[in-house]
This record gives sequence, C-alpha cells and structure tokens, in this order.
Amino acid sequence: MKHKTFLLVTIILAGYFANAQQSSLTFTPHWLPQAQFAGYYVARDKGFYNDEGLRVNIKHPSASVNATQMLENKMADVVSLFLVTALKSRANNLKLVNIAQQSQHSALMFVTHKKSGIEQLKQLNGKRIAIWKSGFDEVPKALMQTNNYNVEWVPILSSINLFMAGGVDAMTVMWYNEYDQIINAGKNPDELNTFRFSDYGYNIPEDGLYCLESTYLQRKNNLRKFVKATINGWEYARKHPEEALDVVLKEMKKAHVPTNYTHQKWMLQCILELNLPGNKNVEKGELSETDFHKTLNLLKNGSYINTNITFDKFYKPVLK
Amino acid sequence: MASVSKKSLATRIVYYVAAFCVFLFLISLSVFYFFSKQSIEEKTIENARELTQNTVLKTEQVLISSGKILNNYRWLIEKNIQHPDSMQNYTRRVLEMNPEIIGCAIAFKPDFFAEKGYYFSPFTYRSNDSLVSTQLGNKEYDYFLMDWYQIPATLKKPYWSEPYYDTGGGNALMTTYSMPFYTNPKGKKEFAGILTIDLSLEWFTDIVSSVKILETGYASVISRNGTFVTHPDTDIIMNQTIFSYAAEMNCPELRKIGRNMQAGKTGFEDVIINNQELIVSYKPLKASNWTLAVVFSRDEMYAPLRQISLVLVIIVIIGMTLMIIVVKKVVENQIAPLKSFAHSTREIAEGNFNTVLPVIKTKDEMKELHDAFEHMQTDLKTYIKNLKETTSAKEKIESELRIAREIQMGMIPKIFPPFPDTPEIDLYAMLEPAKEVGGDLYDFFMIDDTHLCYAIGDVSGKGVPASLFMAVTRTLLRSVAPNQRSTKAIVNKLNNALAVGNDSSMFVTFFMGIINLKTGEMNYTNAGHNPPIIINGDNKTEYFEITQDIPIGLFEDFDFTENTRILSKNDRLFLYTDGITEAENWDEVLYSDERLLECITGINSLEPSEIVIKVARDVVIHVNDCQQSDDLTMMSIIYKGLKK
Repeated sequence: MKHKTFLLVTIILAGYFANAQQSSLTFTPHWLPQAQFAGYYVARDKGFYNDEGLRVNIKHPSASVNATQMLENKMADVVSLFLVTALKSRANNLKLVNIAQQSQHSALMFVTHKKSGIEQLKQLNGKRIAIWKSGFDEVPKALMQTNNYNVEWVPILSSINLFMAGGVDAMTVMWYNEYDQIINAGKNPDELNTFRFSDYGYNIPEDGLYCLESTYLQRKNNLRKFVKATINGWEYARKHPEEALDVVLKEMKKAHVPTNYTHQKWMLQCILELNLPGNKNVEKGELSETDFHKTLNLLKNGSYINTNITFDKFYKPVLK
Repeated sequence: MASVSKKSLATRIVYYVAAFCVFLFLISLSVFYFFSKQSIEEKTIENARELTQNTVLKTEQVLISSGKILNNYRWLIEKNIQHPDSMQNYTRRVLEMNPEIIGCAIAFKPDFFAEKGYYFSPFTYRSNDSLVSTQLGNKEYDYFLMDWYQIPATLKKPYWSEPYYDTGGGNALMTTYSMPFYTNPKGKKEFAGILTIDLSLEWFTDIVSSVKILETGYASVISRNGTFVTHPDTDIIMNQTIFSYAAEMNCPELRKIGRNMQAGKTGFEDVIINNQELIVSYKPLKASNWTLAVVFSRDEMYAPLRQISLVLVIIVIIGMTLMIIVVKKVVENQIAPLKSFAHSTREIAEGNFNTVLPVIKTKDEMKELHDAFEHMQTDLKTYIKNLKETTSAKEKIESELRIAREIQMGMIPKIFPPFPDTPEIDLYAMLEPAKEVGGDLYDFFMIDDTHLCYAIGDVSGKGVPASLFMAVTRTLLRSVAPNQRSTKAIVNKLNNALAVGNDSSMFVTFFMGIINLKTGEMNYTNAGHNPPIIINGDNKTEYFEITQDIPIGLFEDFDFTENTRILSKNDRLFLYTDGITEAENWDEVLYSDERLLECITGINSLEPSEIVIKVARDVVIHVNDCQQSDDLTMMSIIYKGLKK
C-alpha cells in the first residue's frame, strides 16, 4: 500500500513537472532580431503562444555562436535554420528534424560593384567573396563548387563594410537584408550587379523550424502549438505590416542592433514574399519533398555530406 | 463711393487719410520685408558656412591628433615586436598619456607568437577612471573578423571604423582608428597585426551637439556609409543612415546630398523634410571620410523677421486706430462750427435774422466763413427791410391801380345788348387793357331817338397816364356830342379841348361815327385811327376807304374831315385798335390787317358779340400765350335797318 502510494505520488509529480516543462519553450532564430523573424515576435507579443498555453522565450544567437550550436547545446528547443545548414548538421549526426518550412525560396545572392566589371557569374572565378562566418555558406559554396569556380571565401561577421571599403570583389548577401543595407549605405541599385541563386538553379528553401528528434518525440504537442501560433503570427504580420514593424523595431532597439524603419520594411516585404509557395507545389509551412531531395543532392554533390538522409526521418511536420 | 458720400465729412476725411496711410505702410513693410529677408538670408548662410567650417576644424583636430598618436607608437611596437609581454605596457601607456583615448589594442595576426596562441591582442580600456588591461580574442570575440581589424588588414592602410557599439571591448558607442603594423624579419616587411585606439563618440557628440543655429538648427555627423553618428534625435543615431532616412522621409534630394557627402564634397543645399524646408550645409571630415552637416530650418531663419513684421503690423493697427480716433476728433472739432452755421442758416431761412452765430476764436477759414455769414446776415436784414417797404408800396400802388381799373371800366358801357328797344341796331364791344389800366376807349350812346353815336380810340402810351387821357377824352365826348350831329364838329371840339395844355404831348387816335337809324346814313371822322372794316349784306368785307386825319390832341384848331356813308340793311361794322393787328406771338409775328380781314370775312350771319368773340379767340390762338403788349379793344355794330 505504501509502495503504491509512493508510486502514485511519483507519477503525479512526474506528470506535473513534465507539464510544467512542456509549457515553456525556447526558440532561437538564426540571426539577430530583425523583420526576418517578425512572425515570432508578433506571435509572442500578440499572445498567440500564450493562447496555445506556451511560454515562448526567444533567445537570439550571438555574433559568434550560431543557432545550430545553440540547438546542439540545448540552449534552444526550436531553432530556425537554413535547410542546407540543417541537412549538413543532420549528416554530422546532429539528430534534428524539420517540423515546418517557413521560407520556400532562396534569398541568397552575390553582389558586385558594377565598376568592377563583373557582369557574369563565371567572372567571379578566382575572386574574393565575402561570406558569413556564422553559417549560411553552403549554397554559395555549392554553387561555386558545382561550377568549378575557384573562389577565395572571406569570412565576415555581419557588416557590409568590407565590401563597401572594396576589401572583397563580391559579397554574399540576402536579398532582404544586406542588399538593402548596401542601398541604404548610398549605393544605387544601378551601381551594383546581382546574382540571385534562384536564377542559377538554386532556389533552395531557406528558413525552416528545427528541433532535436528527441524533443520532437517528447514534446510533439507543444511543437504543434508553437508552429500553429507562429503561422498565426506570420499571417498577422502580413495583414498588419505596420504593427509588425513596430514590434520588430522595438525588439531590435532592445538588443542595440542598428536598424531603421526603411530597412525593416523592405525586409518584411521580402520575407512575406519568400514565405509564399509561389509556383511550388506545397502548402504554406510545408517542406517540398522535391526541394528536400534537390538540396540533399546539392550537398552530396558538393561533398558536404556522405550519408543518406531520408525525407521521412528528416521532415516531421507537426501540424499533420 | 455712394456709401462714403453719405457719411460725415469727418468720417470721409478719416477714411481717405487711413486708406492712404495703410497703402504707405504696406509699401514700406513690403520693401522692409524684402530687403531684410535678403539680408537675413545672406547673414545666416554665411554663419552656417562658418559654423560648419569651425566645427569641422574642431572635430577633425581630435581625429588627426588621435591618428598621429597611433603613428607615434607604431614604430615603438614594431621595434619591440619580439617582446610580446611588453605590448600590454604600450597599450596602457597610450591611455595614460592620452585621456581622450578610451581603449588601445595591439591585435596580432593569428598565431603570430607561437606561445601566445591563435589570438593575441593586448588591450587596455578605461573603466570607472581606472585602466583595465586584458586580452582580446576568443571564440566568441573573433577579432580577426571585426571591421576594425579585417578592413585595415585587408586594405593594408589605416581605417576609421564605422561607429559601433562594441560588445566585446569598450561596451559603448565608439569608433576605432586602426592601422596595420609590420614585422621585418630578414629584411622583409610582413604584416603583423593591427594597432587600434578607441575613441568614445561622446567628445564628438559634445562638440557637435554644442552647435546651435537659430531655434532648432543643429549639426550632425554622418559616417562614411551614411550612418548618423550624432543627431539631436537619439533614435536616429546608429539606427538610420542618411539614405534610409531619405527613403523613410520620401526625400530623394536627401539621398543625393548623402551621395555628395560620400564623394567628399562640400555643399549647401535646400531640402524639404516633413513639409519643412531645411538648409543643409555640409563639409567632409577628411581624416575619417565622415561628413559634418549643419542643418537649419528656412522658416526659422525668417522667424525673427516675421515677428518684427507682426509687431510692426500690430503697432500700425493700434497706431491707425488711435490716429483714426484722434483725426476724427480733431476734424470734428475743427468743423464743429459748421453744424452751428447750418443751424443758423436754417434759422435765418426761417426769418430769424437775429439768430446768434457760433463764436469763432481762430483766425482761419472758419473765421472767414463766420465773417461772411455775419455780413450776409446784416445784408439780408437790410434787404428784407427794404423788400418789405417796397412790397408794401407796390401793393398799395397795385391796389390803387385795381381801383383805377374798376373806375376806368366803369366809364365804358358794358351792358349788352345796349339798346334792346331799338331794333334797328345791335352792338357789342370789348376792352382788354394790357396793364391794370389802359389807354384804349370805346363808347356809344343815343344822341336822340334816331341817332347813335359810337367811338373808338387809342391813347398814345399805356398805363396810368394813358388811362387818365382816355378818361378825359371819353368825358369830353359825352359832354360835346349831345348837342351835335356832325362828327367833324365833335372831333374838332375834342381836339381843341385836349390840345390845350397838353404839355406831355399825348394824343388819341380816334374814330367816331353817328348813324341815323332811320336812313342808314352814317357820318364819321377818322382821327388817325385804324380804318374800320365793313361787312355788307352781300358778305363783302373791306376796310373803309376814308380820309385818315391826324390823331386828336396834337394840334389845336386842326380841321378834321367828315365822311358820309349810307349803311344798307345788315351792314356790319367792325372797329378795333392796333392792339389787335399788332398782337405779337413768340416769333414776334404780328396778327396783321390781312389776318383780321380773313377772320372777319364770311361772317355776315353772325351777331356783333359773336364777331368780337371770334376775333378775340383768333388773336388768342395767334399770340399763343405770349404776353399781351397792348390793349385789345374791339367794337362790332350791325345795322338792321328800319322795322317794317
């Protein structure tokens, strides 16, 4: 009897703590606060997470510790990652799974100064190209490797200053971010040449939501709630862009990240466009199996990964 | 103007004076405003240029001297590069010697000293008034990727970093000046690392924030990439570039200015932001490739002028109001006697000549008016007095003349028909004097049962003398005729009686006849009178062809002629004075003998009264209301013959 009572209390307490743990969730976007993550801030500030019974803590990566590391170190329960980054990590035995695909298109591009005379991709052969140290370098490298272009990759943090100062021939930029920063640093669009990766067969989906497989197995219900509330957050941002921008700017100011209305407005417009499936045969928030295999093959061909990853094991859509 | 003319004289004068003053003021204000505006604009622009220049000099001085400090230490570091542990001392030394510097690092390239590892960067920074020395660089603060290291290391030249919040080092908004340093093993120059000093931007903000121009004008520093390093709105600092701000404000001109700044140009340009016209004066800080801009509002530039103008307008409005009140009062005072004069004039017009005139103490036009009024008053009094007397005299004379007329008219027979018991004859006569009394006369009476005496005459002249002469003539006729049957004898007697003592040489044209009613024989004498007209029974009308003697009263003892004519039954005689034939109309055309004859012709069926009235009407028609100038006298006689 005594033994039974102890067992009951243990089960009840275990259940209580389990519930308490599940109701709190840490999310790490894969960069510093900006409109790229508007949907998450909106979902938090508008109480969409709370409505789902979740207490979501948004914890940003630092300039030197990226989101993947945070997931691996269990500093975050859910992270947003590029598909390529996630696949690479999975191949490196980080058991992460995609629980929803936010972005459906590639925003990556190279930018060169028009006066450099680099008009075609092949002219970047043998040139110095700036690329982020914190990640997102797989597709650019895959693109150049596939084309057998020998490139000197110059790691940078987040600023465009090296490119602006003429320290590199080209810079890897996001259409929604660094490209507009360059415009806002005084370069006119007609003074730049751009190379959109999607134009070179690399329309690889980008931001997706990932968690460790173990988390998926243990907290599926909470993850479903999180994704549902996040999608609501994005829909709200689409319908109320000005309000969403206010939320983003507040978040950025809090983090002492230099920003301004103009740039975040541009970014939000871009991101909302990238989130739409467009001509792809998927629903919003879904990962296309075709894209998955395309990306996987890209990484395999580029010798980034050697092991096979199956779609079913990688993609665990929590909303289904 | 119609409404103005109804207003009082004082109001009208004030109206014109005020209108002219307003006009003058508006012209003056416009000229003042135009020239002042020009002058203010020139001075403010000049001030702004100087301010920009001075601020650039002040800020650039700090930047240049900081650069020099680094240069001075570089050779020391390069010389002692084989002693890594001494490097920290240099960083401390830099801060000790240069209070404006808040951090100094000697950042060696990766693995420069094998024993120091991948990262080696002695770094000293200020913290709470003390110096803290540490090592920069670890996995989380990978300084090789920091702009302050990477860019000068790549470009191999000194570099002023974009302003930044340094989370790894000074933890404040700062800028870093970096400079590559080299090692020289075996005589070969090799890149060794980056030497940096950190400057807080507070000194910058202090200098730049102290710049004030006009009310809200300010200075701002913009970095190489367009980032606002200083700005009065702290939300803009580090968050906005001039280009993002231009896009947010939808102001392409500002973007152009930003690009000019990046090109190191100096400029002075107008730009409209938030509907506010701003003037931007900018000049590069050549040491760092940043730009200093002085910004001020065009509106504020003219604000003092507008204030002065407003004050002027208020003063003028108050002044004008006072002027209007004062001028109106003064004018009203000055012309106040006019009202009294008007009152006096009405009094005088009503006959009160002794009315008191207003007292005028001044010696101006009003005094002249007063004197003229006084003179007029006196003259009027005299005139009216004389007029009264004259009128009284005239009325008396008129009254007497009226009586005289009545007497005169009483002297001539006026009962028609005069002889109702005498069927052989009928007669009608009329006398209309031109004045109260006249000089014409007619008369008729029976001398005996068978003889009718008739006469018509016209005394020379008119009025009272003529009427008296007429009265005498008529009285004489009545006294002489009863004992006579000869017209010649009667007229001779009359002539002699009138000619005696006729000092005034008056005379009478006179026609008289005596008709024997039984025989129709008529004796007659014409003393210078118009020949009568005879209309016989056959309706033949003609003037008497008779001897026309001189008028009576002229020459004593003149022997007049007597004629005889036998009247047939129903012969009509028409006698008249020259008042009829010489009656004038407005065109001074005479009635004439011819028209009289024409009027008389064909009237043999008419009675004497009808003949007279017909002629009288014809004369009236002829003269057409023209004033009667002579007495009008007519007589018509019809001889009807013996009663069978």
